[in-house]
Amino acid sequence: MNAIIALSLFGITNLFLGFLNNRKILLPATLLFVLIAFGLNLADWNHEYYWFHNMLKTNNLSINFTSIILVATALVVAISRGFGNDEEHTHPAEYYGILLFSVVGAIMMVTFQSLFMLFVGIEILSVAMYVLTGSDKRNLRSNEAALKYFLMGSFATGIMLFGIALVYGATGSFDINGIGNMVNQAKLQDIMLNPYGPILYGGIILIFVGLLFKISAAPFHFWTPDVYDGAPSIFTAFMSTVVKTAGVAATYRLLSISFPAVYGLWGNPLVYITCLTLFIGNITAVYQQSFKRMLAYSSISHAGYLLITVLAKTPTTNSSILFYSLAYSIATISAFAVLMVVSEAQSKSGKPDESFTALNGLATNNPFLAFVLTVSMLSLAGIPLTAGFFGKFFIFADAFSNVSSLFKTIAVVAILMSTVGIYYYFKPIIAAYLKKGDLEKIELSPIYKLTLIITTALTILLGIAPDLVKNIF
Amino acid sequence: MQFWYFLTALTLISALMVVLSKNPIHSVLYLVFTFFCISGHYVLLNAQFLMAVNIIVYAGAIMVLFLFVIMMLDLRRNSPDSKTNLTKLAGAVVGGTVLVIFIAATRKINLGTGADNAFYNSQTGMVENLGQILYRNYLLPFELVSILFFVAMVGAVMLGKREAGERNF
Repeated sequence: MNAIIALSLFGITNLFLGFLNNRKILLPATLLFVLIAFGLNLADWNHEYYWFHNMLKTNNLSINFTSIILVATALVVAISRGFGNDEEHTHPAEYYGILLFSVVGAIMMVTFQSLFMLFVGIEILSVAMYVLTGSDKRNLRSNEAALKYFLMGSFATGIMLFGIALVYGATGSFDINGIGNMVNQAKLQDIMLNPYGPILYGGIILIFVGLLFKISAAPFHFWTPDVYDGAPSIFTAFMSTVVKTAGVAATYRLLSISFPAVYGLWGNPLVYITCLTLFIGNITAVYQQSFKRMLAYSSISHAGYLLITVLAKTPTTNSSILFYSLAYSIATISAFAVLMVVSEAQSKSGKPDESFTALNGLATNNPFLAFVLTVSMLSLAGIPLTAGFFGKFFIFADAFSNVSSLFKTIAVVAILMSTVGIYYYFKPIIAAYLKKGDLEKIELSPIYKLTLIITTALTILLGIAPDLVKNIF
Repeated sequence: MQFWYFLTALTLISALMVVLSKNPIHSVLYLVFTFFCISGHYVLLNAQFLMAVNIIVYAGAIMVLFLFVIMMLDLRRNSPDSKTNLTKLAGAVVGGTVLVIFIAATRKINLGTGADNAFYNSQTGMVENLGQILYRNYLLPFELVSILFFVAMVGAVMLGKREAGERNF
């Protein structure tokens, strides 16, 4: 909660820092703000608080999610390089300010206790993302992506709002515990006993259409490749880590607190959605020629893996989601960091080249970047000795520990799909090490290099000793 | 009750006309009419303040904005239909299914005999009570919505600002 207030104020501060006409100060300032918010967030550790008439609730789970979001934000800010020196066309003060505001929305999504807060949080996050997606105004693809994201996103939000209204109509409460109690005691499952049951069902389904859209689960994924591809890479990195973590956390919070009693209703559709997401995400990623687009499809597939453990409802689900989100976030950020510098070095007529061929021969002159890329790809593919392996391992273990045989099927599908994943995650590695290319040595700023070292080291460390953070979660 | 049915029928018809009319200006005018009908519902629910706000904000400000945009874009030119028949069919099937599901869901609801006079508080929807709830129980969302508007404002200024050099849109 304190992090929300602090970040709101810091966002405004950031906008005013833009008046200083000193672009160098913005990156360290933003990084400092995020770190302060991180500290404020940790201050509530081991306490359970309700804030402002049960609007928000913070406990260790929400603090963990907030920490992951803030770590991802800090890493994204660190690789943003102050948005270059183009005084005319980039506005770093606004970008950083909006970024901080969007984190406010993300934190609201992981700590909400009232559906109001969920809605306002999702809206803050989404509106900020619409703007940042279109921030590269001279790029037609960025404009297209922003408009597409905005139109589809507003429809999804509208659908979710309708769902919230229906759930309120059926249960008379916006509080997620209150809704949970009503759903439990009123035996809404039985239509004969309670005529409001069907309305509740409709409401739940519509809320989940909205939430699944935000985490880009199939069949609500159609916006993802275009938007992730069109948006500036730095904001794509932000979208595929922070937005996804917040969305999954919100979905999990709502499902596990409000609607466990009607598992029969949402369980089955979500099983199909999960399998479809895994299938579409992985199979379509194979056919991509662009590295960035491949990462977009891979983010769809990772939403599928996260949904498995949301569905499985085992006691270890909390820690599995947290570990997977962390592993996925740091690996994705280092992948995007490499993509950003390489695509700019390879730019053709002013446009960054984001295809796999841009990575050709990366290892010859840039062994460090090639190594970072390899580790992140291995982690995303789930190869042992990387964090991604244990992320997937915990999730599959959750699926197998569920008594229902359905989960064994899902786990088998997921394992098959992650073998498909190995194919396309190795494409950039092969391009970097085995193909010939004429890429010059790329100079990295110290903070950029430090960030890459941190993400890579963390990925390997968590792959060797996952208990380091698993015990905290 | 009779008036409620009349108002609801009017709302539904005008809402349908928003979608069905070919001319966008007509759509907007029907939408204004829909908002007035919905405001009528607010009065029936004893929420006069919401009625006033709904008319001022939606029928007044937002709809005028819509009209301006439509006039600026000049949408009356007949643009070729970009949707294939398959897309239209799929859309109709999906939308129709949702409609049927929601009709089925609401069909069983017993509306009851209306409010119980013994517990009925005529002041529920009045400004004072609304303010008490808004600024006490819902203070946090109320304040944080300002962040949302702030982001939208900053974004609009950032995206709308005229850049030096050639214009791209």
